[in-house]
Amino acid sequence: MPKVTVDGQEIEVPAGATVLQACELAGKEVPRFCYHERLSIAGNCRMCLVEVKPGPPKPQASCALPAADGQEIRTDSEMVKKAREGVMEFLLINHPLDCPICDQGGECDLQDQSVAYGRGGSRYDENKRAVTEKYMGPLIKTAMTRCIHCTRCVRFSEEVAGVDEIGALYRGENMQITTYLERAAEHELSANVIDLCPVGALTSRPYAYEARPWELKKTLSIDVSDAVGANIRVDSRGREVLRVLPRINDDVNEEWISDKARFQVDGLTRRRLDKVWIRKDGKLARASWDEAFRAIAAVNAGASVAAVAGDLVDCETMFAAKKLLGALGSTLIESRQTGMSYPVDNLAAVNFNSTLAGIEEADAILIVGSHIRWEAPLVNVRLRKAAKRGAKIFLVGAEWETTFAAEFLGEDLTVLNNLPDYVNDTMKGAERPAVILGGAALANGALAPALALAEGWNLVREGWNGFNVLHMAAARMGALMLGFAQAGGIADLIAAKPKLLLALGADEVNFATFDGALKVYIGHHGDKGAAAADIVLPGSAYTEKPGTYVNTEGRVQYADKAVFAPGDAREDWTILRALADALGVTVGFDSFPQLRAAMVAEVPALGVEGLANYGALPAAVAGAKAEGRIAAYPIKDFYLTNPIARSSATMQECSSELLHGEDVLEAAE
Amino acid sequence: MGILGKIFTWWDGATIGTSLFSSMNGEHVGTDAQGNKYYRARKKKTVEGRERRWVIYDGANDASRVPAEWHGWLHGAFDDLPESNLPPAKIWEADYSPNATGTTGAYRPQGALERGGQRARATGDYESWAPDA
Amino acid sequence: MADRAPHPDSPELRARWGNFIWNEANQAKAKEIVARYPEGRQRSAVMPLLDLAQRQVGEETNTQGWLPIPVMEYLAAYLDMPVIRVLEVASFYTMYNIAPVGRFHVQVCGTTPCVLRGSDDLLETCYKRGMKQGHTTADGLWTLTEVECMGNCATAPMVQINDANYEDLTADRLDVVLDLLARGEQPKEGTQEPGRHTSEPANALSTLKDMVTENHDYRSAW
Repeated sequence: MPKVTVDGQEIEVPAGATVLQACELAGKEVPRFCYHERLSIAGNCRMCLVEVKPGPPKPQASCALPAADGQEIRTDSEMVKKAREGVMEFLLINHPLDCPICDQGGECDLQDQSVAYGRGGSRYDENKRAVTEKYMGPLIKTAMTRCIHCTRCVRFSEEVAGVDEIGALYRGENMQITTYLERAAEHELSANVIDLCPVGALTSRPYAYEARPWELKKTLSIDVSDAVGANIRVDSRGREVLRVLPRINDDVNEEWISDKARFQVDGLTRRRLDKVWIRKDGKLARASWDEAFRAIAAVNAGASVAAVAGDLVDCETMFAAKKLLGALGSTLIESRQTGMSYPVDNLAAVNFNSTLAGIEEADAILIVGSHIRWEAPLVNVRLRKAAKRGAKIFLVGAEWETTFAAEFLGEDLTVLNNLPDYVNDTMKGAERPAVILGGAALANGALAPALALAEGWNLVREGWNGFNVLHMAAARMGALMLGFAQAGGIADLIAAKPKLLLALGADEVNFATFDGALKVYIGHHGDKGAAAADIVLPGSAYTEKPGTYVNTEGRVQYADKAVFAPGDAREDWTILRALADALGVTVGFDSFPQLRAAMVAEVPALGVEGLANYGALPAAVAGAKAEGRIAAYPIKDFYLTNPIARSSATMQECSSELLHGEDVLEAAE
Repeated sequence: MGILGKIFTWWDGATIGTSLFSSMNGEHVGTDAQGNKYYRARKKKTVEGRERRWVIYDGANDASRVPAEWHGWLHGAFDDLPESNLPPAKIWEADYSPNATGTTGAYRPQGALERGGQRARATGDYESWAPDA
Repeated sequence: MADRAPHPDSPELRARWGNFIWNEANQAKAKEIVARYPEGRQRSAVMPLLDLAQRQVGEETNTQGWLPIPVMEYLAAYLDMPVIRVLEVASFYTMYNIAPVGRFHVQVCGTTPCVLRGSDDLLETCYKRGMKQGHTTADGLWTLTEVECMGNCATAPMVQINDANYEDLTADRLDVVLDLLARGEQPKEGTQEPGRHTSEPANALSTLKDMVTENHDYRSAW
């Protein structure tokens, strides 16, 4: 632990820390552009110059200088001030002063730091450099003349995303950042370079010229595009969500989010359900809430009612539905829309027990039936980190393009019964072995054999639990905690032939199997569910209601309401509450706090932000054999997995251009 | 408009009194494209010593019907008549049009109901779903 | 240099270079070069291999050689590295030609010592032969580039043509060199000053005179 003095203040810093980190620990702000906590150190912007003794009598780049015992660091000396002013003046030599027409204006590192550390003006009166535009795909808008060559984007795509596609061509003054042959950046995290870019060189294309940062209301929320539950900030103006940015949470998403989480929000203004529809003579017709409630009551379903929860709903909605059905005398609730029926009596068996941050530490990983890049791009980042630390990774299932060194063991699940010796030895010999089961594995009944493997390899040991299930639906873990699962899956509901079916944002259900039921769809987007329903009640999307979400590792997180739902749409729980009145039952809550309190009383874990405790893994069933093949994964198109994304013009464009390789004519600007 | 109209109304052109005054004391110096006639006093000057100038409208007495070039002359900005004083109109100059406020020709902003209510997209707009759409 | 840009990717380019592979001699050389680097660090060989590829393209096209995009992609695959990294290296170093050049790549040094010794005249000579900076002449013989210091200041001005340096040039001497090259002959490399061998002093010694006979210690004179 070296002891250093920062501006006369003596502090102890962890071994291996840099001078910049030492200054941060001492509470001193050090300006920087190229340095980023989660990327390798480049040391090329020179903005973090400080004075360090002992050393050469000149300012030193603090980001690339290890803190050593007895260093005397000054961030407030005349030399440092002059050095910063000089660097800033150099940076601004070729940076256009177009802040008024630049989308980064107001949240620009260069702008802020030139105000804080720059000179009043420039002495440069030559011509400035200009760089031709570079195409980086439908998500990233470029203005490369503004680039200051910090190379954060280059390092991000190489180190974090693992898709080497951005590089710095030419040299010196002519250096230009570009993708290879100006092809679109093609990976699921590409848009994070927008956040990383300290200037306005890389900005968001869908959000271009929409708003200034100070106009926006910032709401803390949770992403629902996958089961990782990335922490996001929803930026809204008036009644519209304009963009989504990641929040820093080292346990969940670090500071990245997937492109889908970031850009599906323009789907929130399209195909919205904003009025009540009732099917009359085979056609949906507009109606009032009263008519709809009367029509539902008229079925006189009694206890013959079932509820299916979709992939995006919050725990409160599901709990309200459960209460309503309970009051009616029914327990037919299910959340696994596509018919999966893995046992849920022990949730530890279907949880990501290693935790998202913990999987980085694993040194041998067996992934069964999961296209992780598409099912959870942020987990893929963690796995890449693990692989870089030397973890051996094996995959069972159809091949996909990994961003880390890994070996595919084939599509045939039976390989689990008889793994090659080297795989067995690696897993057995590993200090922290892990197994990850994806949706395709659960659907093929690989849970029991995987549990057997886990027991054999001793995956659960002191301080380590290596048994993981990676879900794809944001609502899944919360639903399972609330008991939204039948022993036989959705087949049990079908077999019960309910007279009334409540579909809570459930779009993947095969509604034809509920032929005799009155199908009531409560949701926010007109997708498959609304088209198949007999009654459509407009609900709210994830940005339009407060809610509790549980991610795939069992982490309970709360989201706030950013905007109001459009038109006649209501928060989902109020619809269910009103429905209770219409059906003449009481559910025991009249307000959102009451609802949440009732929910926490029933499932106490939902009341505590953080990891829920599911106890120990169940004992493996002896003789469980894996069978079947994983020739395809449930996600066919990364950009179009939920109703919001399917409605989003941006996501559709990404899908057609990036996945299906269609040439999109660039609109003349 | 007959003579009766001239006697009893004052909103179109000159009244009989003004017409008489104009023909007696005024010198008709020119007519603009809309037919408005411009006069100046033959001898009398105003109290400040300026020349007295006036217009008699061909039609509604609407001050905005005076085109820019005659407006300048009328208000003493220059003394030469517009035809001799001002450079010829450029081909890209639009014809002068009087203020249309209050008429059907008045300007309506985009999105006004009179223009069909079609406005540009604004924050908070959304596209609602309809079956079979 | 500012207008340096990779030759645009096109179907014709792909058709011409898409099936580029090492010829027999270079295959062996490439293997040997890659073997110089430790296991797992093969991509360090990208610079010598780019040079090798450029030469092979030169042989095939009878020019100095250049690096078409498909060739860089071949190299990236050969070294198992991202092609953008290959492009970065190739675009960084000006000795890699990323656009087609002619039979002879005439690189006239335009840095101070050469300019003081008359490199402007050399450029003038080149212009007279129809060369234009950054362009290849219509007959495909010459490509002219003005470059920065090539480290031959003692024998300035100098011109580098493909792999050979021609030093101590005047307009007339350069004309002779270019004529010889155009005729397909190989002019004498190095200094063109009669009587001079390499970069030894052109006239009588003017500095370090005491060093002629013995290893004189000048330190006392500092």
